[in-house]
Amino acid sequence: MPSPVRAALLFIAVFPALAQSSLVLRALSEELERNFSILKQKAEPAPYFLSYEVTEQDVNVVSATLGAITSARHNASRLLDVSVRVGSRKLDNYHRVRGERVDFTSGVPLSLDDNAAAIKQRVWLETDRVYRLAAERLIKIRTSTQVKVAEADDSDDFSEEKPAVFSEAPPKMKFSAEQWAARLRKLSREFDQHPGVLTSSVSVMAQRETKYFVNTEGSRLEHGRGFARIMITAQAKAGDGTDVSTFETFEAADPSGLPGDEVILAAIRKVAKDVSGLLRAPEVEPFVGPAILSGRAAAVFFHEIFGHRVEGHRQKDETEGQTFTKSLGAPVLPPFLSVIFDPTRRKAGTVDLNGWYLYDDEGIQAQRVPVVENGILKTFLMSRSPVRGVDHSNGHGRRQPGLEPVSRQSNLLVESSKQVPEARLREMLGDEIRRQKKPYGYYFEQVTGGFTTTARAGIQAFKVIPLVVYRVYPDNRPDELVRGADIVGTPLASFGKILATGDRPEIFNGYCGAESGSVPVSAVSPALLISEIEIEKKQKSQERPPLLPPPVNSAGGGGQ
Amino acid sequence: MKALQRVALAAVACALPSLAADDAVLRAMRDELQRSRALKIVNLDPPYFISYAIDDGDAFLASATLGGLVSADRRRFRSPQVQVRVGDYKFDNTNYVGSGLPFGGRYNIEQFPLDNDYGVLRRLLWLATDQAYKAAVEAIARKRAALRNVTVTEQLADFARAQPTRLILDPPRGEIDEEEWKNRVRKLSAIFAAYPDLHASGLEFQAIRSVRYLVTSEGTEVRLPENLAFLRARVYSQAPDGMLLRDAVTFHALDFGAMPSDLEITRGLRELAENVTALTKAPFADSYVGPVLFEGDAAGQLFAELLGRNLALNRRPVMEPGRGGYWPASELEGRQGSRILPEWMDVVDDPTQKEWRGRTLFGFYPIDQEGVVPQPLTLVEKGVLKNFLLTRQPVKGYEGSNGRARMPGNFGACTAGFGNLFVRASETAPLPALRKRMMEMCQARSKPYGIIVRKMDFPSSASFDEVRRLLTAMGRSGGTQPVSQPVLVYRVYPDGREELVRGLRFRGLTTRSLKDILGASDESHLFEFLNNPAPFALMGASNFVSETAVIAPSVLIDDLELQKFDEELPKLPIVPAP
Repeated sequence: MPSPVRAALLFIAVFPALAQSSLVLRALSEELERNFSILKQKAEPAPYFLSYEVTEQDVNVVSATLGAITSARHNASRLLDVSVRVGSRKLDNYHRVRGERVDFTSGVPLSLDDNAAAIKQRVWLETDRVYRLAAERLIKIRTSTQVKVAEADDSDDFSEEKPAVFSEAPPKMKFSAEQWAARLRKLSREFDQHPGVLTSSVSVMAQRETKYFVNTEGSRLEHGRGFARIMITAQAKAGDGTDVSTFETFEAADPSGLPGDEVILAAIRKVAKDVSGLLRAPEVEPFVGPAILSGRAAAVFFHEIFGHRVEGHRQKDETEGQTFTKSLGAPVLPPFLSVIFDPTRRKAGTVDLNGWYLYDDEGIQAQRVPVVENGILKTFLMSRSPVRGVDHSNGHGRRQPGLEPVSRQSNLLVESSKQVPEARLREMLGDEIRRQKKPYGYYFEQVTGGFTTTARAGIQAFKVIPLVVYRVYPDNRPDELVRGADIVGTPLASFGKILATGDRPEIFNGYCGAESGSVPVSAVSPALLISEIEIEKKQKSQERPPLLPPPVNSAGGGGQ
Repeated sequence: MKALQRVALAAVACALPSLAADDAVLRAMRDELQRSRALKIVNLDPPYFISYAIDDGDAFLASATLGGLVSADRRRFRSPQVQVRVGDYKFDNTNYVGSGLPFGGRYNIEQFPLDNDYGVLRRLLWLATDQAYKAAVEAIARKRAALRNVTVTEQLADFARAQPTRLILDPPRGEIDEEEWKNRVRKLSAIFAAYPDLHASGLEFQAIRSVRYLVTSEGTEVRLPENLAFLRARVYSQAPDGMLLRDAVTFHALDFGAMPSDLEITRGLRELAENVTALTKAPFADSYVGPVLFEGDAAGQLFAELLGRNLALNRRPVMEPGRGGYWPASELEGRQGSRILPEWMDVVDDPTQKEWRGRTLFGFYPIDQEGVVPQPLTLVEKGVLKNFLLTRQPVKGYEGSNGRARMPGNFGACTAGFGNLFVRASETAPLPALRKRMMEMCQARSKPYGIIVRKMDFPSSASFDEVRRLLTAMGRSGGTQPVSQPVLVYRVYPDGREELVRGLRFRGLTTRSLKDILGASDESHLFEFLNNPAPFALMGASNFVSETAVIAPSVLIDDLELQKFDEELPKLPIVPAP
């Protein structure tokens, strides 16, 4: 093709993207200024701050099981979140009152077309709705602060920050649903070879996300990124009713970064082999003793038991456990460990990190935050809600559209100055088992996630849900796959028991759910040797496996 | 439309066995069902009835506001419903408050393959049947336990026998032109930009091409194409005193090609916008007691709501003793043989009719959700209640379906609904005469005006919140379910002048009010709507819709009470519209 044509094509491809971006931002800015100036004049109480965020998502999902497509969806949306603040920075409608959840915004859908009239009408209506709720709550809060005892943390409700201006549309995403469907049909058929697996699925998701943000302090932002993910899952049911399952995922910022068929096939085989192995594996008994958490398992462990407890807003809420609230400057982890939250980091090794972003949902630029240096707690993860000792945001105010931002994790990076090669870590586990005179220890290879309660009303405990667990013997017997183990513990007691780490960081990419919804995060950690870990029996189903054998003509083959 | 119906007719006549034999979905259903008959846990009840239904759909949905597209989705889905009944027709696992609950574990099988893969379909049916069977034996055990300590006054069977049917129709044709519809929806939604008094407006379009498959262990086999396209517009505004006003209009067709023209839709949308704009300027009416004339759509809406809801009998499920729950009973329960309408009125439901005065009827269906073929059914004869709309769930006084299982229901049963409801009057008068009669009554009672209702909010365009408020208020007062609110209400003065008013709600309007029908017009009017199992057939409240029609005259009813709306009114927005 002659070059002038190519140039013209390129021009066509690039120009509308820019024109498009500016229209949404322009419409939002105009409506922001119009609403803010009139509300300031006429409304009582008058707002002192107004912001709009629009999250534009274009999502493709294709799933398959045993060679047949089960779902193929494409979905586009633009959701608006409005924030109105009335009162003052010192005390406004967002003031936390004894664990009360504030939710003013609702994530209303906006026109996908760049149609200013359609966008502005919704923005106007939503601003009106949110303003009413904001004004109503301020009145309630003013009453509440007058009758309740003074709060321990009297920091402001909203921090002062510099406005940010930035505009860069995220790269366009190439995704062919047909090509992926053909690939997934072929890949998912691999489970045919594993008769023990009852249900399985291989799916791909590709998403382009653009965020537009404007506020009355002058911030004007347009930015975004892509997410792509392959997810492999398999489930089976053992003769005693226990449900066993495991999964593998691959993440990348663009579908082109996802691995090739050979790598995916190997992961499918591993998933199928683990599930088939778990069907025959013995059930664990409750146990306390030494264990190694694989890097991925350790990453989840840190996310749950540490990460959630350094989220800034929890330090301010008197219904929260406040494990570390008064520990700034004090040791909270073994001195050989540091924990950094770094949303500016795009990759770990060759893997794209899920918790990467340019600006948070309050329009604050992402920044690297060393939360723990050599065991000492330096700061918290901050949104624009200050806490005692930390007056400013560090770009961790995040949310899912439709919810209010609070401080959330990004990319959690565990760094260790006491690293040993993995083989040495195994030897140290053997030594520890013998020292404690235990018959065996454990190796946690794959975990599905976990949960923790941070509220005072609950128990300050965590649970990590492993899927693939091995019993490790101090002699030369091979590791033994077991099933039905959950890790339980309490945070403060657990940190002191980390003895050493491996030297190879592993990555857990996933989505974290909390009060501001589901946000993409990652955690990166080397393996951990822990002197004492407690496991309890997993809840299990009493139901039998299928009564009839699988249909002969069907894929998957015969049962057990 | 007609083409589609002709195809359907031919297929009924000679069921095209060759095509059916090749259908991987039907084949997988048939073969796996056959094998599932052998399900049995030692000492527990084996299945006596198994049915597989699969709704195979391809839907395109688009919405727009003021010329801007808000969403556009294409969805392919295959949703299975596997039912296993254990015990026998007299006593089984259904009609119990825990029927259909997934006791124990569930397999990960929500999504059925979209590909026609016989092996994978069978495999998923195998797991779904296993899950349903285990839930069924658990449910029947719990049901027996719940009944141990109570005395049941009247023993109803749990499932009625039905004639096995075979009806294999060809899958529908008709492509959905996504781009064309996106542009139409954009363009049509822009019409509302010309009405500055509207606060918000939206247009949604759906085209669903679907096939319902049903195979039962009794030998029923159905493959029924069910295409539907509809376009719905909603507009909202606020009166100067703060009262929120809204209305909606729906255009629909069973054949994508038969959707009304843009010209016709534009006319309807303008009318909607003008009506709501007029309502914002209309006076806030005072309460009224007296005769009310329901004209055109409003009469059809009134019959659809009052009769549709009450001609289906609800059965209270078996519950653990002491466990409460609100199970609204039909107002007409136990009134068979009694007069519920004037002697000169009849009501017949006839889903077998395809046309009425040259117009296609929306409520035609060859077979119901349970595979029972409907026949014309006289519900009310000379004012006397003769029959109810029945499914295969036996209800007090009735056992045996009359093919009215039209919507999903609870505790293993379907909800009954009508198809084409014909409300006929043998004594009629021209509409102006009815109006004159109303005015004479008003004069005799020294009322300054009479009331005409031209549109009701049925199916309702209310928000979920509003419906919840209405139902809670009803629960508190212990009353019957309220009817929908009137949308277009006019005062008529003795000089013939009409005045649109707003803010009136019916009070105490029930099926008993129908006995007070004083007169009916000589012209009948066709009202068609998308019915669903939600209260007020709330628009968008259910994924399931059943196409329904009412053919009814305008009616004059005496002694109705319209009450002035007395909730707090929200303030107007501080910032004017952009």
